[in-house]
Amino acid sequence: MRDVYVAGIGITSFGRLEYPLAEIAAYPAMMAMKDAGLTAVEQLYVANMGGGRLSHQTGLASAVVDTLSLTPAGAETIENGPASGASAIKQGYLAVASGMHDVVLVTGAERMREVNNLDATDFIATLTHPLAEYIYGVTLPAHAAMFTRLYMDKYGVTERHLAMVAVKNQNQALANEFAHLQQPITIEGILDSPEAMTNNPYVAEPLRFFDCCPVSDGGACVLLVSEEVAASVDRPRVRLAGVGQATDTHAVIERDDPTELTAVRLAAEKSLAMAGRDASTVDVAELHDAFTILEIAQSEEVGFFAKGEGHLALEKGETGLGGSMPINVSGGLKGKGHPVGATGIAQAHEIVTQLRHEAGDRQVEQATTGLTCNFGGFGNNVLCLTFTRES
Amino acid sequence: MQRQIYAYRCRECGTLHYPFRMRCKECGNLEVFEFDAEPLPNKGTLVTFTHVHNLPAEYEVARLSIGAVELDGGVRVMGQLDIDEPKMGMPVRGSVEVVRREAYERYWGFVFRAA
Repeated sequence: MRDVYVAGIGITSFGRLEYPLAEIAAYPAMMAMKDAGLTAVEQLYVANMGGGRLSHQTGLASAVVDTLSLTPAGAETIENGPASGASAIKQGYLAVASGMHDVVLVTGAERMREVNNLDATDFIATLTHPLAEYIYGVTLPAHAAMFTRLYMDKYGVTERHLAMVAVKNQNQALANEFAHLQQPITIEGILDSPEAMTNNPYVAEPLRFFDCCPVSDGGACVLLVSEEVAASVDRPRVRLAGVGQATDTHAVIERDDPTELTAVRLAAEKSLAMAGRDASTVDVAELHDAFTILEIAQSEEVGFFAKGEGHLALEKGETGLGGSMPINVSGGLKGKGHPVGATGIAQAHEIVTQLRHEAGDRQVEQATTGLTCNFGGFGNNVLCLTFTRES
Repeated sequence: MQRQIYAYRCRECGTLHYPFRMRCKECGNLEVFEFDAEPLPNKGTLVTFTHVHNLPAEYEVARLSIGAVELDGGVRVMGQLDIDEPKMGMPVRGSVEVVRREAYERYWGFVFRAA
């Protein structure tokens, strides 16, 4: 297989966007083509989860390729739940690595704010097992809450640890101009003060409002190219060096040990091995913190910390900017936002920005290896991507 | 009519599955529908639980309690809880009741109470 490089990147602001879904996908694609100085796109992949359901639009890739005036390039929509973004990047990787194409645009978009909160929650809940989970009113926050309770019981994680993740990531988002949440928070305000239960009510006990990512509109894009094309692009060289994916049971409670996220562990192992790296060589990571507990659990499963010790590393500040293993310096899903189909690409956008050393106030010094974890369903379809800076 | 929730036992190797899957996860038999349905027991212990405050639109309640239960025999299921103060590890007993209503449909599933 051929090596695959990221020649260009683009992103929209996350939050509420008042323009159509196809344009949310096309805007970051325009940015990425401009960034790379390349327009000879042969293939487009569009990551999206809810176009048919939320935006009343199907066949999104056909709309986006025309919006970008890239016809007659090939175009497909990729739907893989909240892991759609990294799945689309995987398809782009395969298209370039195989030699079939030299220039592939991978863009993702979601427009979730046009439905109300209850409909958005129900839309995401359709990821769950239809008969064993969904009919009971099981939502993704409910899954995360039941997982959290097991984690608290087994490893001593507390609500304070969860609040520490929320404060770290939401405040980190202040250094990211594209982030959805631009409001600083404190442990006192969301946990310790007499008003904390009003400020931060339970969503699914023991998870509270500030443990959950916001519902966001947004789009992000990476432009993938062959080595030959990358040599002609005057930008820092970042290689997509590892792509790992693993799946797990649809019904979460069927897993042998429901406190383990086996698909995360396997996807990270495969991705890092493919890149010739291991977890200790990763300088910066974007993990899928749709709920605060997931950052802690994934930081263990991808191999940064021993199982059950992620919250201890968090306590010591190791996962913050300036720590030994900075996680979600973009703000993560928690602070930056979670437009589901675009999230995996937005994670890649941040890692490429970091490896280019262009992240400004949130730059991880001298970062040369970065990892993303894009978590579909409740850990039933997970992709991890490894990026490396080439000198 | 006494409603029940069924698990599916592979006729080839005897592995019990819940929920249903087309192919046995143990022996991988490729003959389709080679499973015998058998009613799940209704007694077990509570593995974990939550009280959900942000529910999909069909639920016209302020708060819904949901839990995972390990039934006697080892199969784990989800269900709604009708328990004031659930505790992990507590013994529970399930019955099959309407757990979700939509405009023209009702869905039956487990509701667990303290045993």
